[in-house]
Amino acid sequence: MQKTYAFFPGCVLHAAAKEAETSAVAVAKRLGINLKEIPGWTCCGASHVQDIDPETALLANARNLALAERMGLTLVTACSTCALMLRQAKATLLDGRLDWANERLAEAGLKLEGTVEVRHLLWELADGCDEWAAKVSHPQAHLRVAPFYGCHTVRPPQVMDYESHLNPQSLEKVIRACGATPVTIPERLKCCGFHAVFPAETSAHRLTASAVNSAAEAGADCLLTPCPLCHMQLDMYQPDALSTACGDTPVPVLHLTQLLAMALGLDAKAIGLGRHIVDTKPLLASSGSA
Amino acid sequence: MQNFIFLIDRFDGTNSWRQRYEFPHKPGMTVLTCLIHIKENLDPTLNFTASCRSAICGACAVRVNGNALLACDTMVDDLREQWGDGPLTVSPLGNAEVISDLVVKWDEKVNRLRLANPGLHAKKEFSAHEGCRQAPQDMQAIQKQWDCILCGSCMSECNKLSDSSKDFLEPFTYTHAARYAEDSRSRNPLEHMENMEKSGMWKCLHCMECVTKCPKGISPAGAIASLRELAFKAGHTDGPGPRHADAFRTDLENTGRLNEVKLVPRTEGMVSAATKRLPFTLRMFARGKLGPVEAARLFVADNHRVEDHDGLKRILKANRK
Repeated sequence: MQKTYAFFPGCVLHAAAKEAETSAVAVAKRLGINLKEIPGWTCCGASHVQDIDPETALLANARNLALAERMGLTLVTACSTCALMLRQAKATLLDGRLDWANERLAEAGLKLEGTVEVRHLLWELADGCDEWAAKVSHPQAHLRVAPFYGCHTVRPPQVMDYESHLNPQSLEKVIRACGATPVTIPERLKCCGFHAVFPAETSAHRLTASAVNSAAEAGADCLLTPCPLCHMQLDMYQPDALSTACGDTPVPVLHLTQLLAMALGLDAKAIGLGRHIVDTKPLLASSGSA
Repeated sequence: MQNFIFLIDRFDGTNSWRQRYEFPHKPGMTVLTCLIHIKENLDPTLNFTASCRSAICGACAVRVNGNALLACDTMVDDLREQWGDGPLTVSPLGNAEVISDLVVKWDEKVNRLRLANPGLHAKKEFSAHEGCRQAPQDMQAIQKQWDCILCGSCMSECNKLSDSSKDFLEPFTYTHAARYAEDSRSRNPLEHMENMEKSGMWKCLHCMECVTKCPKGISPAGAIASLRELAFKAGHTDGPGPRHADAFRTDLENTGRLNEVKLVPRTEGMVSAATKRLPFTLRMFARGKLGPVEAARLFVADNHRVEDHDGLKRILKANRK
């Protein structure tokens, strides 16, 4: 694994999903990885700004990419939508918009060559699995974990091309390396509904409930997602989703790096396991994590 | 090589069942040549639709292992690379009513397509005598969308449509609306957008299944985005969809980052934020997802501006000159 990255946390890791940042940073520290936050990074547009003002979104991401490129490091993000927006922006810029963007970036003394790599933290952890697996001190052998990839982790495959979008295995690989058992649910590659939770609230809640109910039926102890937006939807909105769709068994939802942190024996409080809407204590009781 | 095994979802109008067919592997076979082989040699009762065998007519789209593809344009050996040499499950397109076996009903979908007002109503400066001139770059802007062959692959795994088709259309309908709305020759682009706005345009989940499944590389999600942009620029800025998007843009410009506390009132209004969303807010406080002091600060003031926020403003200003 590369040891130093230009880290793009994304807005929610500084807000409602702070525990995703805390756990990512804690895991990185334990694994000897340096996540250097990109100074001055901005919102990626979250696919929403792109819809009403694509040039503003493209320029904001050209700036984000230029800031990372200036650090001479690979950009890594812990959010799937950020990863997609940044990778999509890079592809668009390299496809004939680079000069246009650079004329404007010059106003802030920036220049983008387009050489910066944009990676999802999941990909780095899956690639580095053999290296860090040896550091797993608290194998989570009691946990049956249902992976939930999140749309933007794998789609569209033209942009998110790390692994097969039809049958990705990176999350399963991480789960096994943590000593836990992956449990497949039909919603593994489905949408959580997050991006339309306001305009299509009922649909979003039914999608969320569907994943939660399947995980409960499959006997999973928790859902695991590499995307903090999926996490917000599956965890924060889970009570609303279950009441919309008549589910009665709440299922805790872990961030990717929280499972890893538990397997590395990191303190539960330090990785924000108490900052969840759906209680994560049952996971700790069976896992034996401190 | 091992024999091909197809498990085909059958339906005779009353009963449905999954039927197994096994036949010898031959290199170079497409899904369609396999279906034809089954019908001609193993089971003449199997129903499917196909015509051109050249990925032009769009008649032969089916699902293999749950994912839509054009049967005539997909080599079975390629599918084996993805799924292994075991049985392949072949089903009719998703989000469609099945008539028989792999044949789905299109009547209602074509009626819904009419909502896009498909057809070009040219600007007044054009005439039958002079024709409709278009600059190459303007043609390129809509060229991709014109490749749509109405195969239905984009609708098959659309997550929004799977939940409900009452408030959302087949993704290709938005593609068709966008290709007229974005046409530089179009007299009134809004006439193609307005029905889409009433029929789910802001309810797309961004699941990206349509982009992923289109055999022609078209992005119906991109078409939806361009229709949203058209609507927004035409002043259609009310409603949770546009207001939500605008809240993100406001935060990006004002401080650089999202203000989650202001997001709900900006999207739904203060009344909804203070009443409907109250239980949600209270449990956020109770579980420590959000601190009341931090929430109050974000509501009254805002996020701190990002480093070199002035630089960001200059970049965006330069683009608006």
